[in-house]
Amino acid sequence: MRLAGLKGVVRQAGSVAATLLGLLALTFFIGRMLPNDPVLAIVGDQADQSTYDMVRHQLGLDKPLYVQFFLYIRAMLSGDFGDALFTGHRVADDLMKVFPATVELATFAIIIGVGIGVPLGILAAVYRGSLIDHVARVVGLLGYSSPAFWLGLMGLILFYATLGWVGGPGRLDVAYMDSIDTHTGFMTIDALWEGDMEVFWNAVSHIILPASILGYGSMAYISRMTRSFMLEQMAQEYMVAARAKGLSGWAAIRRHAFRNILVQLVTVIALAYAFLLEGAVLTETVFAWPGFGHYLVAGLLAGDMNAVLACVLIVGIIFIALNLLTDLLYRLMDPRTR
Amino acid sequence: MVRAFCAAFASMVLLLSGGGAQAGTPRDALVIAWNLDALITFDPPQIGEVNGNDIIVGNVCSTLAQYDPKDSSKILPGMAESWSSSPDGLTLTFKLRSDLKFPDGTPATAEDAAWSLQRAVLLGYFSSATLTQWGFNKEEIADQIQAADATTLVLKLTKPYPAPLLLSAAFANNNVAVIMSKAVGTKNAKITDGKSDLGNAFFKTAPVCVGPYHVARWDANDVVILERNENYYGPRPGLKRIIIRHVPESSAQRLLLEKGDIDVARLLSTDDLKALEPNKDIRIEQTLMQQMAYMALNTNDPILGNPKVREAFRYLIDYDGLTNTILPYKGVPRADLVPEGAFAALDRKEGQPFSLDLAKAKQLLTEAGYADGFSKKMILSANDINPAIAQHIATNAAKVGIKLELEQMADANLFTRGRNRDFEVQLVGWGAGYPDADAMVSRHAADPDPRAEAKLVGYPVWRTGWQNLDINAKAEAARLEQDPAKRAAIYKDIQEFMLHNGPMAYIYQNIRPIAVRSSVKGFEIAPFFVDYASASK
Repeated sequence: MRLAGLKGVVRQAGSVAATLLGLLALTFFIGRMLPNDPVLAIVGDQADQSTYDMVRHQLGLDKPLYVQFFLYIRAMLSGDFGDALFTGHRVADDLMKVFPATVELATFAIIIGVGIGVPLGILAAVYRGSLIDHVARVVGLLGYSSPAFWLGLMGLILFYATLGWVGGPGRLDVAYMDSIDTHTGFMTIDALWEGDMEVFWNAVSHIILPASILGYGSMAYISRMTRSFMLEQMAQEYMVAARAKGLSGWAAIRRHAFRNILVQLVTVIALAYAFLLEGAVLTETVFAWPGFGHYLVAGLLAGDMNAVLACVLIVGIIFIALNLLTDLLYRLMDPRTR
Repeated sequence: MVRAFCAAFASMVLLLSGGGAQAGTPRDALVIAWNLDALITFDPPQIGEVNGNDIIVGNVCSTLAQYDPKDSSKILPGMAESWSSSPDGLTLTFKLRSDLKFPDGTPATAEDAAWSLQRAVLLGYFSSATLTQWGFNKEEIADQIQAADATTLVLKLTKPYPAPLLLSAAFANNNVAVIMSKAVGTKNAKITDGKSDLGNAFFKTAPVCVGPYHVARWDANDVVILERNENYYGPRPGLKRIIIRHVPESSAQRLLLEKGDIDVARLLSTDDLKALEPNKDIRIEQTLMQQMAYMALNTNDPILGNPKVREAFRYLIDYDGLTNTILPYKGVPRADLVPEGAFAALDRKEGQPFSLDLAKAKQLLTEAGYADGFSKKMILSANDINPAIAQHIATNAAKVGIKLELEQMADANLFTRGRNRDFEVQLVGWGAGYPDADAMVSRHAADPDPRAEAKLVGYPVWRTGWQNLDINAKAEAARLEQDPAKRAAIYKDIQEFMLHNGPMAYIYQNIRPIAVRSSVKGFEIAPFFVDYASASK
């Protein structure tokens, strides 16, 4: 029994490794086939051939593709992601900055998305066909269909420029820049770490708008899914039985129907969160948010495979990790799997 | 539940409006919004793009000489207080100031200066051409550039180039004529395959130069912070810190500027600039850059190889019309290859003799034997106003029977196509390296070897396959002409010829618009540098 379990773990680890390697290989070879020349991105249009050849050689781009890929993987296994050609920094250093920025934003966004989306979905299901259901549907549809870029700009004009309720583009006001040390890369956590509430609230005032806009999109998705899961459960006979037993309407919903949709709901939320963690290029651009999405796209445009592969690896790991996490949560929440 | 939620939301809004109220920029800092995507290095001789140059040259790294901000064709002393040529013109001697210091207070000497110049040549990046085009080379550089004593720098030349040309082209306001710390560079040198990188990997993020500011922080795609050097030799910079934030979106920059959360916006669209125009708290400054936008016509193409066809292209550009429609805040129409403001440039009127004339274009095409027109493809960048300009030209071309098919692409791709001569017509831009007609003539008119295998990819004229031996001879003669008046006359001659016969149809000279809050004083902007140290509040 124990041996079988071990075998299973080994098999799973093997398949994860193979998946990641395949993902990297695919990204690398497709990336190299794009007409973007990383050398030219570095030396510029005015450079002479000798400079061009020198830099190409320095970057190892004169080696055959498979050799380049092999060298990259070998370095990566020893923990070296190399230099990001398009930023001049170590890829690992860059990621230590951009990834926390995106995780922080995505986490705020998903809290908003879940915090509003789930209650809204439940209400829409319980009061099906009522005004609240229609409002939820319209709000959801708007969330799906408005471009984040436009929404971001409108949000900035209204809440930042006109009302002055929130901070502008960027993670902090300039006045607070450099006022706290970096511990985790999460602005809010670092501020709390240092006990600087002024910086904390400033960071929150900057994150709240982009997080709301990203969260709005997730909220739309989560509330629609919650509603349909709930409707399905509420039509079940056990609900009728529960009420017949004398449970009040809301108690039955909370204790029976909602608990039964939890497993499905967690999957939906995990997916929405993973999607946010990949970074939202447009939102990051409007809000001058130095995040992961912007980094990945800039790297891709510059043909910088060192940076792109590291990013792809992270995205791959996020999806796998969240999958494992949902598996775990299933076991906790679904008594049948115990 | 709903009530609790509303209460939480209301208290949140209250808290935020308290927390976000800290508006305005710090009194001792200049906050600039820009696009920092292209930054890849701060090691001066490795810098090959505009933003890095702008941040480093003159601000982090002072230069031996400098252009007069009022008139770029005049040269003023910088870290070198004077210079002199030997009677035979083969030795140029710089006398450096004796009070030069690096940020940590260590004195900077002619030894550091010689090392820095040699380093630029030895590293071999694009900037090495700044020196190698005047005969300096890797093999002899240790002998060619030497420190005679702590304040005397001696340069041996291979030909007696006139000093004003040499100073303008190689020793003023560029990323080569800087003084970097030899001690720091040597100590942090990385050796690979027995070859030293001369501190390149170290200086990439932390250059050590003589200058008013030093780089205190650089987070990729986020922020660059410069801090004042207290022992800088020149006038004390007005502001302690320069904070350059990465704000890639024009509308976001505009909102930040209007709100007072930044002092300077450097990347505004025409629409945003127009909207800011009536704002009394903000001034818009337009600098005429020494950069030209043009159509390169590949003369290896049998049709475009015909000079009459190429001249016809000039009459398809509605220079006057563009002035009012597409070019506001972006450029000034100009057909001359030498940008206005450079030494020996034609004046604005002489430099722009063409106007939209379809009949004339048709006549030239008929004379060339293409009365029925032809089809060509034009490649261009998808950025900025390029698509609008291309569309405008294609519309006029269609009226005389030329079918111009437009293909937009990313910059890197566009450059590759140009360098591989893989185009018929290319809409592209070029920045002159220094404010002297020579900068453009040596790369856009004189073609040392037009054969494909010569691979002179850094010469736009080579990319078009065009060569004229008479122009080559004149360009070389001008480089060696000691009399400024005669030198200017030769360049004027070359420009007149190129206007009608060259392989490029120049369209406009770039303008760089910057929006600045009125609270900022000073902040001098010139074609080759932006002087952060002159700013105050």
